[in-house]
Amino acid sequence: MPMVSGILPEIILAFAGLAVLVGDSLWPGRDRLWLSLAAASAIAAGFCALFFGADGAVVLGMVIADPLSAFLKIILLGGVFIVILLSFNYSEFRGISLSTYTATLLFSTIGLLLLVSATDLVLLLIAIELLGVGSFVITGYLSKQMRSSEAAVKFFLFGALSTALFVLGLSYYYGIFGNTAIASLLLTRGEANFPLLLTLVLLLAGLGFKLAMAPFHMWVPDAYEGAPTPVTAFLSVAPKAAALGALLRLFSHHPELGLQPLIAFLAALTMTIGNVGAVLQKNIKRLLGYSSIAQMGYVLVGFATAGPRGFSSALIYVTAYLFMNLGAFACVVAVSNATGSDELSAYDGISVKSLPLSLVFVVFLLSLTGVPPLFGFIGKFSVFAAALSSGWLWLAAAGCLNSVISLYYYFRIAHHMYFQAPVIQRSVALSPSLVGSLALCLLITVGFGLAPDSLMALTQSFFR
Amino acid sequence: LSLLISLPLIGAVVILALPRGKVSLQRTLAVFSSGLAFALSVWLGLRFDRTTAALQWVERLPWIPQFNIHYQLGVDGLSGPLVLLTTLLSLLSIIASFNIETRVKEYFFWFLMLEAGMLGVFLATDFFLFYVFWEITLVPMYFLIGIWGGPQKEYAAIKFFLYTLFGSVGMLLAMIALYFTSNPHTFDMMELIRQSGRFSALFQGIVFLALFLAFAIKVPVFPFHTWLPLAHTEAPTAVSVILAGVLLKMGAYGILRISTPMLPVATKAFLPILVVLAFINIVYGAACALVQKDIKKMVAYSSVNHMGYCLLGMTAVIGANASAGLSGAILQMVTHGIVTGSLFLLVGVIYDRAHTRDIDAFGGLGARVPILAGIMTVQAMASLGLPGLAGFISEFLCFLGAYGVAAQRIWVMLSVLGVLLTAAFFLKMLKSVFLGEFNKRWENRFPDMTARELVSVLPLVALTFWLGVAPGAALRMMNATVTNLVRIFGGS
Repeated sequence: MPMVSGILPEIILAFAGLAVLVGDSLWPGRDRLWLSLAAASAIAAGFCALFFGADGAVVLGMVIADPLSAFLKIILLGGVFIVILLSFNYSEFRGISLSTYTATLLFSTIGLLLLVSATDLVLLLIAIELLGVGSFVITGYLSKQMRSSEAAVKFFLFGALSTALFVLGLSYYYGIFGNTAIASLLLTRGEANFPLLLTLVLLLAGLGFKLAMAPFHMWVPDAYEGAPTPVTAFLSVAPKAAALGALLRLFSHHPELGLQPLIAFLAALTMTIGNVGAVLQKNIKRLLGYSSIAQMGYVLVGFATAGPRGFSSALIYVTAYLFMNLGAFACVVAVSNATGSDELSAYDGISVKSLPLSLVFVVFLLSLTGVPPLFGFIGKFSVFAAALSSGWLWLAAAGCLNSVISLYYYFRIAHHMYFQAPVIQRSVALSPSLVGSLALCLLITVGFGLAPDSLMALTQSFFR
Repeated sequence: LSLLISLPLIGAVVILALPRGKVSLQRTLAVFSSGLAFALSVWLGLRFDRTTAALQWVERLPWIPQFNIHYQLGVDGLSGPLVLLTTLLSLLSIIASFNIETRVKEYFFWFLMLEAGMLGVFLATDFFLFYVFWEITLVPMYFLIGIWGGPQKEYAAIKFFLYTLFGSVGMLLAMIALYFTSNPHTFDMMELIRQSGRFSALFQGIVFLALFLAFAIKVPVFPFHTWLPLAHTEAPTAVSVILAGVLLKMGAYGILRISTPMLPVATKAFLPILVVLAFINIVYGAACALVQKDIKKMVAYSSVNHMGYCLLGMTAVIGANASAGLSGAILQMVTHGIVTGSLFLLVGVIYDRAHTRDIDAFGGLGARVPILAGIMTVQAMASLGLPGLAGFISEFLCFLGAYGVAAQRIWVMLSVLGVLLTAAFFLKMLKSVFLGEFNKRWENRFPDMTARELVSVLPLVALTFWLGVAPGAALRMMNATVTNLVRIFGGS
């Protein structure tokens, strides 16, 4: 057992995915059963990561199970669990078989988990591709809709480009070190020569696609708008958190390599592009797409700041972002189930008919804006505190100004919900799975906003 | 003190849980919870120890140990009067907002959340906690203006929100900078004040500017005042009362609580600018008020003018009459809250009847509605500083204090012009609304004040007289704290 305990979550998910595929061919048409199975396997995998995943064991010399990977696996699986809950009653999914979707989602999740625990660049590449191919498939899952297919194709082309960059970086890496283990990079000390820097920038670019870091963000709005909303929710959080994990594994031991100014610049660029782009959007999925670009900018601020404080703040932010954004998407799913539309105008006057839902949505929006005492504020606070403590005043100021911009567009949603005359006739119906996912996200968003101390202690312990 | 904050909070949550239809129950609950909060604050006020500058009823619990953040509350002579003002005005505004008919449940929910947030701002003595409460007040205000406001409410709401959030991110950065510069790192306000000698002059200057951005927008100090007339005019009556009565005070309170004692060097350096800004606020605010056609907008600009006096009082801090100036500034916060609060209520009364606030649309109402006219006249007189009423004492103290600093006498003297202008616009308003020829339009359509309206206004009128004749009790409450603040600047 000790050999495989570190990759137990991946094994569980793989078996669950295969079981769904096989099971569907034997007993077709039982989508709810397969989704439940997938949800259960995500929870089981999460518990495995919690109990067996943090012993520091290295499996096959390629996968490590340390506290950092266990933490990321748990939040990723939590996110995937919520995404599965969202898929249960999504109205666009009605009338199509979901077994392939479910299995693909599970296989992509394996890619996520490997991304945060791989210690070898080749395995990292495979994880990226596994995640990428799976994501293309589920993005285009509504094959009858042009937009969904268009989104998948765009996503695929950008993904191929970034993979090419990553492979190029990988080949340089092999040329420099003679192997592909991340450990070789960790062993070098302070030799910031040009080939190495080029390699690192190329690897950063490959992961930057997953992070939707500027200038690799162009695919985001179209892909997010076209994909089925649960998939958009998945794309907007999971690959980003996982890619941050990979970045931390690659770069967290080498703050002296001189990439910091570049990352800081890209962080500022990412938030600004995301926020400015979001201001004029009329479709809520596009709006949240741009906002997710901006949110990654804040994560990168923490990452650029480096040091235990910076890295742990990036982790806190990404955790906060994962749950508050999923919460926001849960609200989007609820409204689009009721109105069949993702335009902002569909949100007119929702508060009149469904006050609880709109209040919960406002909580997520406030958290995304960074208003205390919510989790998103704790994230922003940690990130800015980290930036200021290591002298990145301009970066922190840029981040602060950006959150003022973000208030404007987040509250355009609130504006539609509260200030416009209602268009819907009755209250938005909430299925139990939606209520569950909303409650979970709300609990985490408010709970860690009020009591973030344990999480702060935990994330800081990863970088001692 | 936690109980004081949680009373409205509990009320808000309970109201939210009530079914939509039970409007009168929701109203009763709102009055009940804010009334309890008021009773508790009065009880605290009576037991307040006037002889010490130290914080009283301190509560301190560790919150986020990684950043040495504590949940820490306390009250002293600076926050005490403002806490009383907050609970009183909240209670009266809730009574005054019984005429809100749409979405009553949400209204009282947001209102009580707002009250909890405001109390938190005045009671928090940990900078982080202060910031949290500061931000919490923004959200209810946004919805209160945006849902129940006037024709331009949505624009006013988002403008208010964006403006103040812009200010508060400056405060966030300043707060973190202070944390990392202090040693040991702390957010405790008292500890930061104790360490103020450690901060270099340049650092103080930068932090002062960042904080000033936040507080000046809230006060509002010229040129950051542009959100105010809009927000005040569009907000429903009771919300204008809170906005003018309490929210503006948060800015002035922040300057006195945080900027001045933590950054004494920077405060001294920026005093010449502050006094000019105070002058601009006074004269410009009054001049703008003079030309308004809308009564509510006029009162809104008079707030700009009055907060100018308050700022002027603060600039006294290094002068010979420092404690007079500071006491005047704090008292001005309270009296402005009472007087302007009641003026907004009265304007609301007029608007409820006439559905217009155009000054020229009225005339000769004095004879028809003697009670309304009488109260309005008293409050307008108080606002323009008639001796014997509340406004006079505080304005006089502000001028007296600021005059004590030799370098800024010229600005103080020029500011007296503002008093003249204030008198001009209030008298003009009284004349065209209550005197002159009766406008036949309002024949039989303009009843005098109802009992409920009187209940919400009369306590404020009584306080106006009381503070005007016997301000001693209020001044004694703040005395020890003011003396302590003056001592930081080496004054007596």
